[in-house]
Amino acid sequence: MKKIIQLFLFLFFTTTVVSLAQSDNISPARKQAIDSLALEKVKDLSKYISIIGSKETQFSEANRVMDRAEELFAPDAEMGVSSLSRREIAYYKVRRYFERLMALNYDRVNITWYDIHYISDLERQPDGRYVGVVTVYQRFEGTSLESGLNYRDTTKKDITIYVEKKQTQIAGRTIEFWDVMLGDIRVTETSA
Amino acid sequence: MRKLILVVLVTILSVELAPGQGLYSPGQPKDDGRFAASTKQVNQFFRRFNAEESVEGDKRYYEGDPLYRDRELRGKFISILFDNETSSVDSETKKQFLSEVLSENYPQFIHFHRENWFAEVSSVFTYKGKRENVTLFLKIQPEGLGYEWVIDKVVFKPFKDIFKKPEGDAKGFLHPLSHELGFMNLRKAFQDSDTPEAYTPKEYDPDYLTLFLYEMKKGSIKFETINDVKFHFFQINNWYFELNQFNRPGFNTGWLISNLVKLNPGDKESILRYIYDQK
Repeated sequence: MKKIIQLFLFLFFTTTVVSLAQSDNISPARKQAIDSLALEKVKDLSKYISIIGSKETQFSEANRVMDRAEELFAPDAEMGVSSLSRREIAYYKVRRYFERLMALNYDRVNITWYDIHYISDLERQPDGRYVGVVTVYQRFEGTSLESGLNYRDTTKKDITIYVEKKQTQIAGRTIEFWDVMLGDIRVTETSA
Repeated sequence: MRKLILVVLVTILSVELAPGQGLYSPGQPKDDGRFAASTKQVNQFFRRFNAEESVEGDKRYYEGDPLYRDRELRGKFISILFDNETSSVDSETKKQFLSEVLSENYPQFIHFHRENWFAEVSSVFTYKGKRENVTLFLKIQPEGLGYEWVIDKVVFKPFKDIFKKPEGDAKGFLHPLSHELGFMNLRKAFQDSDTPEAYTPKEYDPDYLTLFLYEMKKGSIKFETINDVKFHFFQINNWYFELNQFNRPGFNTGWLISNLVKLNPGDKESILRYIYDQK
């Protein structure tokens, strides 16, 4: 039963691009399919960030979600954060960034995402993998009940995506598919 | 089996539609047009400059698409690619630039993979325990199966202070018959002088990048952080422009042209000298 579920989920997330993964060049149609897959991963990340940041999330559940969120990333991915008052980049490992988000000292936290995104072209790296950047905007609202203070900011998140053609065996057949992993994220506070 | 598929689908959809969580979920903040207007990536600057994407930025135009590199669309795009709030590019210069770039017979485009554009990165390193500003110049080059950014030059004040070739009477030299003495006077150049660079040819130019890498390998220089990034473009014939990121309220934001110069013969070299030697 578990295998069937795994197979179903695998097919669910890869079928959009499996049929297109036949050569190393990325045609406009394939690019569109990869964009959709990349956006799915970014949506997953955004959901996880909202859950991790929420004060209603239990500690154990937040840790579980952090594990899931980490799985979206390529190894060694980092978050580079700057604010309006401090332009230089502060670097955090992805896990550390999530932990800091979870530990923020507010009674209520609401993280939402603007209805806009931008996806760059895909450029090929020396190792043959493709790289792109997805830009999204996040609104953060934190409320401290005791002091009655509200903090609100909007950050631009430029998210690296790595796109790689992979192979897998399903029922004895080799299936090629394009996989997307998230990489470094540049977080910039905006004036919005 | 059908039930199982239904359950999995319902589970996935219920997470997708959870309020206030993922992108494009109910209750999410709406962009009032500012983020849409912003040139959000350098990639978008290229696409807008060349008219290779839709006005909304959600559709990439390729060769064969009706609006691909459309002249009218380009005109509209390029006119919004200037910093109109803090830079002092006059309207006549902009007009001339636009007319040359949009020329019907010889339109000019910018190319990500070609030469004549590079990045200037203001960074901070610690050198011998002290925080120091370092300017790195990076360019893009083909490598392996794709492309990579590489460090082309470095400007680092402590190195510049070390190499100051004296001029005129202050400059030491090896007299023209030194060879007859088997260059025994090199001792004066290397031991008695604190400016051994005085004994180098006119065209001598210290290779700061090699020195920088050497010090880094020795552990004397350590990376700290990045402060700022900008780009210099010489891809349009007889024009130079600088690309900066503007993070401020309003609609004129993101990656915008902050400096535009019409180049006369020799100007390119002067501007490059200034860029590479400014700090």
